[in-house]
Amino acid sequence: MSLHDMNPTVKFVTLTLIMFGLALFYNPRTPLVIIVGTLLIQLVATDVSWKKWGMFLIPFLITAIGTFWTTLVFGKNLEGETWMTILGQDITDEERRIAVALSLRVLAFTVLSLLFMMTTDSKRFVMSLMQQAKLSPTIAYSALVGFRFIPLLQRELQQLQYAHQLRGVPFNTKWERLRHVPKLLLPLLAGSIRRAERIAFSMEARGFTSGKRTIYDKVEVKSSDFVWSGVLLTLFGIAIWAGI
Amino acid sequence: MLKSWKLKEVVLVSVLSVVFAVVYLLFVHIGNLWAGLIGPIAYEWIFGIWFIVSIISAYIIRKPGAAFISEVMAATIEMLIGNAIGPRIILVGIVQGLGAEAVFAMTGYRRYELWVLMLAGFGSAVTSFVYTYFMSGFAMLEPGYVATMFGLRAISGMVIAGIGGKLLSDLLLKTGSLRGYAISRSGNVHG
Repeated sequence: MSLHDMNPTVKFVTLTLIMFGLALFYNPRTPLVIIVGTLLIQLVATDVSWKKWGMFLIPFLITAIGTFWTTLVFGKNLEGETWMTILGQDITDEERRIAVALSLRVLAFTVLSLLFMMTTDSKRFVMSLMQQAKLSPTIAYSALVGFRFIPLLQRELQQLQYAHQLRGVPFNTKWERLRHVPKLLLPLLAGSIRRAERIAFSMEARGFTSGKRTIYDKVEVKSSDFVWSGVLLTLFGIAIWAGI
Repeated sequence: MLKSWKLKEVVLVSVLSVVFAVVYLLFVHIGNLWAGLIGPIAYEWIFGIWFIVSIISAYIIRKPGAAFISEVMAATIEMLIGNAIGPRIILVGIVQGLGAEAVFAMTGYRRYELWVLMLAGFGSAVTSFVYTYFMSGFAMLEPGYVATMFGLRAISGMVIAGIGGKLLSDLLLKTGSLRGYAISRSGNVHG
């Protein structure tokens, strides 16, 4: 029974609820328990690549550090023992506690988000939204078309670069290539819009309508989904208790 | 809401969402580089970037839901292609989309002049700031600092999303690829 098999919509709703709940707490222990608990669940019930996970985490570590010192310097003044003095500003123990809590919150959000991202297949998520969350099939299939569009976009961008190079735009260094990207946006968009129109016509030609449809690729809600939901919410319960 | 939409309009929105999802993701990384140094305020002055697909879609299609659907779809695709903000980004998309959509709804989906587009960018700034205020615990920051953050975000929303979105759409109109969408029937065109 792994978290990979959990119904994506149920998983989405559960994790979102926990994140909203977390925003109500300003003590460091609640997010800390969430972080530790989520990592344990990830260790036991998933087979995600921890290396990839670490790569995703890095930018958020930076954000957490930024949040920490912003809260210290620009935080509300709170009463308490002076912990240290920065730039002539006294920072109390209570202020430090809040700063730790808010930066841990950033990390708790990240850990929960990564748990979802790394255990959820994109197509199955969209299919599940359509079947469980009543997402309109027109939107669901258009989104999947868009998703499949990405490799095409990459190729088109490459072709546009070649075309501009032929006309004498220098593309020798990485910087030159990067600097020219905004100028490629317009032709890229214009080409994509034309292609979107053709895709829509061919969908219609193949009989795609917004009416009632039958489903081949069924995504179901099983009782184990609620067990997982329960486990995650229990973790949140423990985290709240630890914070009191 | 979708009743009045043609399939090609839905696909157009999804394709625009994909292109801007990539742009959005790029700017998340740019914002991140700054954020370690100068804190969460790093995101504020570029925040308008993340509202732009709403403005462009609504301005091109001119139907109820265009601003909202495009923003949510861009957020979803951004998550699928690897924004580690994860499922939360969809909520962010919903919140931002609602802000812009509300402004277009107030005009009865009839007016698409520059000031309306700028107001829509401002609308997204307001709703998204309320969300960030709650989720990031801004209640714990000095009110003056929070006000500065909001001011930057509001200006960014009006300038980057409002003015930038209109400029980009008008340029696209001139390429002729938007023939067959409401924007080319609006009368104020010369393309």
